[in-house]
Parts: sequence; C-alpha cells; structure tokens
Amino acid sequence: MFLRFVAQSVRRAPRRKAMAIGAVALGSAVATAMLGAMLDVGDRVNTELRSLGANLLVIPKSASLPVDIGGIRYQPAAKDEFIPEAAVPKIKSIFWTLNITALSPSLHAQTRIDGRDVPVEGVWFRRELRAPDGTRSAAGLRALNRTWKIDGRWIDDHQPDDHSAECILGESLARSLALQPGSALNLFGERFRVVGVLSTGGQEDDRAFVRLEVLERLTGRNGQVDAIEVGALTKPEDAFARKDFSKMSREEYDRWYCTPYISAIAHQIDEVLPMAVAHPIRRVADNEGQVLNKVRGLMLLIALAALATAALTVWSVMATTVLERRYEIAIMQATGASTALIATLFGAEVALQGSLGGLIGAIAGAQLSSAVSQTVFGIHGSPPDLLVPLVVFVATAVALAGAAQPLRKALALEPAFILRERA
Amino acid sequence: MFWRFVLAAVKYRRRRLLLAFAGLAVAATLATTLFSVYWGIERKMRHEFRGYGANVIITPASNSPSVPLGAVDEAERLGAVAAPFIYTIARIGDERVVEAGVDFRRAGPLTSYWQVDGARTAAPGECLAGNAAAAHFRVTIGQSLPLASGACIVRGIVSTGGAEDNRVMVPFERAAADAGFQNAASVVEIRADGSRVDAVRATLARALPGADVRVLHALAETEASVVLKVRSAVFVLALVIFGITTLCVTGNFSALVLERSREIGILKAIGAAETKIAALFLSESLVLALASTITGYALGLGVAYAIGRKIFSDTAQLPAVGVNFAVFAPVMGVTLLVAALATLLAASRIWRIEPAMILRGD
Repeated sequence: MFLRFVAQSVRRAPRRKAMAIGAVALGSAVATAMLGAMLDVGDRVNTELRSLGANLLVIPKSASLPVDIGGIRYQPAAKDEFIPEAAVPKIKSIFWTLNITALSPSLHAQTRIDGRDVPVEGVWFRRELRAPDGTRSAAGLRALNRTWKIDGRWIDDHQPDDHSAECILGESLARSLALQPGSALNLFGERFRVVGVLSTGGQEDDRAFVRLEVLERLTGRNGQVDAIEVGALTKPEDAFARKDFSKMSREEYDRWYCTPYISAIAHQIDEVLPMAVAHPIRRVADNEGQVLNKVRGLMLLIALAALATAALTVWSVMATTVLERRYEIAIMQATGASTALIATLFGAEVALQGSLGGLIGAIAGAQLSSAVSQTVFGIHGSPPDLLVPLVVFVATAVALAGAAQPLRKALALEPAFILRERA
Repeated sequence: MFWRFVLAAVKYRRRRLLLAFAGLAVAATLATTLFSVYWGIERKMRHEFRGYGANVIITPASNSPSVPLGAVDEAERLGAVAAPFIYTIARIGDERVVEAGVDFRRAGPLTSYWQVDGARTAAPGECLAGNAAAAHFRVTIGQSLPLASGACIVRGIVSTGGAEDNRVMVPFERAAADAGFQNAASVVEIRADGSRVDAVRATLARALPGADVRVLHALAETEASVVLKVRSAVFVLALVIFGITTLCVTGNFSALVLERSREIGILKAIGAAETKIAALFLSESLVLALASTITGYALGLGVAYAIGRKIFSDTAQLPAVGVNFAVFAPVMGVTLLVAALATLLAASRIWRIEPAMILRGD
C-alpha cells in the first residue's frame, strides 16, 4: 500500500518529479565539481611549483665554513667532508619517499680557463635511480629542473662512463669564452667538447657541467659528492611545523614526523645520511607554501560559496514541491491518514528524489571536474572515490531538511481550511 | 490597472515569489563573487610570487669586475624593486669569510624569505650573520664580530638554506669601502612585475651595454604558468557554476508561469489578450529579477571582499581586494535575460490554454 502510494505519486506527476530531481542533480553537480576541482587545483599547483627546482639542499656535515662567491671557492674544501655517492639512493628510503619528486647529486670544483677561475659541476644529468626497496625513479639535474632549456643537446649519462669528453657550458660562460655547441675547450688539462649551452638566468649561467664520474676522476674524489639537491612535495608549514621537534611530546613528534613538512623531510634525510645535513631552501620552500596556501584558500572559499548555493537551491526546490502539494496532504488528512504516515510517505518520496538527483548530479559533477582539470591543467584528473557517495548523502539530507519545514506547517493546518482555499 | 495586477500578484503569492527571488539572488551573488574574484586574480596571484625575490639579475660582463650603481636607478625608473649587493672576502683572525654588502632599505622586499632572528637591518657598525657563520665564529645577537676591517655588532642571525648562511651581511657603504668599489655593485637584483619581466630585461640590457642582464627563467615561467592556471580554473568554475545556477533559475521562473494555468484561464475567459497576459508575467518576472539582482550584487561584492580580505589580507597596497564594480552590468544583463527568456518560454503556453478546459477542473 505504502509503496503503491509512492509509485502512484511518481507516475501521476512525472514532470514535476523530473524537475525536482533535475534541480537536486544540478545542485549536486556544482558541489561535486567544486570539491573535485578544489582538491585538484591545489595538488596541480604544488606540482607546478616544483619546477622551481630544489627545496632541500643536503650538504656534508662540516667543521669549516665554506667561503665561496658565485661558485668560486676562496678556501679549498676539506677532502674528508663528502657524501658517498653510493649513499645517495638512501634518500629514497625515508618515510615520505613518495613525496620526493627528484634529487640531483653534484660535486663542485673549479679550474682555470684563460686566466680566470671557472666553477665546474659534476652532475647526474638524467639517471634511473634504484631505491633500496627496488623502485625506480628519474633523478639528476634534468629531472629536478624540468623547465631548463638547452641550446645544443644534453649529455646522455644513462650508462656509467668516466672517460666521456663532453661538457655543457652556462650561457654567460660560453659567451665570454666565445664558444658554441661543437667547440672544444680544456678543463683540468683534458680536452672536452661543448655539446650544449644552458641558459637559466641563475648561477648555472657561469658554470661548466660534466658527468659526475668524470669530475670525480679529474679531482681524485672517486665516489664522492658534496651536495644533493632534493625536490619534495610538501605541506605548507604552519605554526606547529615551526616548533622545535626535540621539544615535542611523543604524540606531537609522531604527528610531525608523519606529515610531509619540509622540516620533517629534512629530519628524515638527516637520519638516513648521518654524514650530511639537510637544509630547507627558504626562498623556494617558504614561498611554495605561501602560494599554495593562497590558491587552496581561494578554491576553498569559492567551493564553500558554491556549496552553500547548491544547498539553498535544493532546499528551495524541495520546499516548493511540498508547498504545491498542500491540497493532497489535506485530502489525505481528511480521509483519515495519520500525521506519521503522511510524513513518512513524503519523506520517502523526497529522500528518493534527493538520492536519485544527488547520484545523477554527483556523477555528472565528477565528469565536469575532470573536464575542468583537463582544460586547465591538460592532465586527466579524477575526484576521489569517496566524493560521490558523500554528495549523494548530503543531497538527500538537504532535500529532507528543505521539505521538513513546509511539511510540518501543512500538517499542522486544518485540512478543511486548505481544501476550502482550493475550491 | 496593469501594475495593480503585478503588485497584487506579488502580494498574494509572497511565499512562492520569495523562493524564486532567493534563487535568483543567490545566482546573482555567486556570479558577482566569482567574476569579481576572477577580475583581480592575476594581479593578486602575481603579487604572491613577490616573496621569491628577484626575477631579473644584473651581473658584470666578463671584462669588468662590477655593475654600475646606475643600474639600480634605471630599474627603479621602470617601476621595479631593485637592490645592489657587493660580495667580498673579509678576514676574521686568520680565517676568511664572505662579506655581503646589502642596501637594507632597498633589499627588504627582495629578501622577505630570509628567516631572521633579531633585526632584519643593520646600521653602520652593525651587521647580520648567517647562522652557519655565527655558529662557526661563536657569536650571538648583541656580540661583536671582529672583522679585520673593523668589528661590527651582530644584530640578527639569518637563515635561508642558501649561501647567506655562511656570510656576514654589512651595510652596503661599508662593503663598498672594504671592496674598493665606487658607485658599483657585484650584483643588482631586481624584482619586476611578473608580466613585464621581458620588457624590463630588454630595456635594462639596452641601457647597460657593459653588464649581463638575465631573467631567472624558471621563476618567470613558473609564475606565469601558475597564475594562468589558477586564473583559468577560477574562470571555468565561474562559468560552470553560473551555467548551472542559470538552469535552476530558468526552471524556477518557468514554474512561476506554469503553476498559474487557472489564473491564465480566468484572464482569458474574461477577455484578456494573450500578449497582455504575457506582458503581465514578463513584467512580474523582470521586477523580481531586478530586485534579486541588486540584492545579489550587493551580497556578492561583500563575499568577494571577504574572500579577498581573508586570502590576500597581507596585500595592503592593493585596496578594495576582490571588489570590482564593473561586474554589475554583465551580471544584471545576464540575470534579466535569463528571467525574461524563462518566462517567455513558459508563456508560450498561454496561447495554448483553453479557458473552458482549465476552469472545468484540474
């Protein structure tokens, strides 16, 4: 009997029902699209900001103070201060290993060309790094600085080879030495061929780059590196992250350790590389957090505004639906239906419309949000799986809430009063 | 007579109209908010990148040891923030340390990412020490650092994770005297507006043929791409939301007409022309739309202002964050158009309604 009532109601006025469901669906679509996009935009911008290079610098623990200007050392580096090249992959074994997007070990030296000192950097250009747990990832200068462009070509260093005679010059250095890709020059008394000229606008413009093994051999520092640049996806630092971790309570420490704050990642790197110390590069790390917080905050507020609107829309549609059916309610009451029965009947109908509309809307909204990230970021993103059931649930709840008040009011009125008004 | 009809309709169906009014007002609020935010987003997002410091750097050409100080004035004339730096080697006892000469007044905006314990600037006779340098020479704030060229009182400890950590920062004039520079700097750092980086670089390169003017490509490109993406994300979302709320409003206004078949029947029965009835409904809708757009516009400006204040609160030099009065015309135009279209579409029924059929019963 009860189900027949509901079925009848749907069959008798399909158009009105479709409109109500449509409205709920539209509201839910907005909500899903906004939430999906909000979560997405933050992550995408975070990835985008990583193209600014490293946000962590790992250097050997040192007793001496480096004295260098623009890569030229005015005091020879102590030979016993280094990070073993073999220890580099250990960085990919920390707790937040998946957040480490790239790392680039390097060795620094300088040589004299035409009577002036020129900094030379030995680097991995692009290598496959095998982490201790067997996973592979791209590492090296190019993996870390994906936007860098080169005139000529990069050095291919997939295979180890310490007799490669190729080098890459920074743009300013190349200009002052009047060299182009294809020219030759002497570094450390050996003949090298310039294969590419790099222009970044930064200190790299004044440097020469060779393969790490080559510089290790030329400087007699086999298997040693003196800096590792690390790019990590981090959570912007808040007041909690700035606390001194050595003064934290056990729970606080655990929470800090298990959050990808830059300071926590630096601490975990210190743990796996006891001979080194990791410093957050504030210029990159802090601003990254700053920009990211703004973008996330902006998206959150827009999403909240949209959610409030969606809720209002669903609410008002449901209120209207009940308002229109006061006559029906009065007839039911007049023919002896109990208040509880009518409330359940309408409740079931509204819940049905709400959940159906919510489901359609959530699915459409999920499509919409991935279309948005496709348009804006050119990457196919999909909102989290939990979003759809959540939106369906909220849509149903809001629909019920919207219907509740006018229903109570209609039930409280004398049926005769409503029926007379209609006649 | 005509307007009495309209007003009476408002009076007798207050509740129903209130819902339609609320729906449209919300749509207008959202449209105003989103488009106001969208309007200023590029400027504000670019502003957020200022913390990264310089995006243009002037270094000496290979045949000269320094950059003329005129470069700073030149850059400031172009509306950019510029500061000169001098790097030289100083001695403390028999050890060496890099002494950086900083024009603290000018460099402030370029070094906002420095984490400083103590003061951010140093007067003559004072200096800031990088945290590694301070630890190495065992000095803390308030103590004297015995530089060979004259001791200085440490006013602040700087940590940046970069080269500054190993250096001692002194006032620019002192470093110039120590390095023997006259009207020259080792490097001039410039923060130009992100959208004008290339123009500023080109102008400076022309004005300073003896120097090397470089753009920090990674910063300039990342800034441009993030700003562009956030902007288009807000724009696409604004369009999506606006489209969907428009659909809702359309439904709402059509329902306003559809519900009143009985009334239409009566009007037709007593001899009202169809066009007259349509005009009646249309003016009712437009009055409603006008009222709700104005309400929604006011609310939307408030929300946009609140969003601007909440998120970009530290941008003191950008007044009226998020508020843009120019969005009124398009918002008004679109809402009125939507209301009118929805009403007219539904009003096409007026011609098809047979008074007798309607009046006989539902």
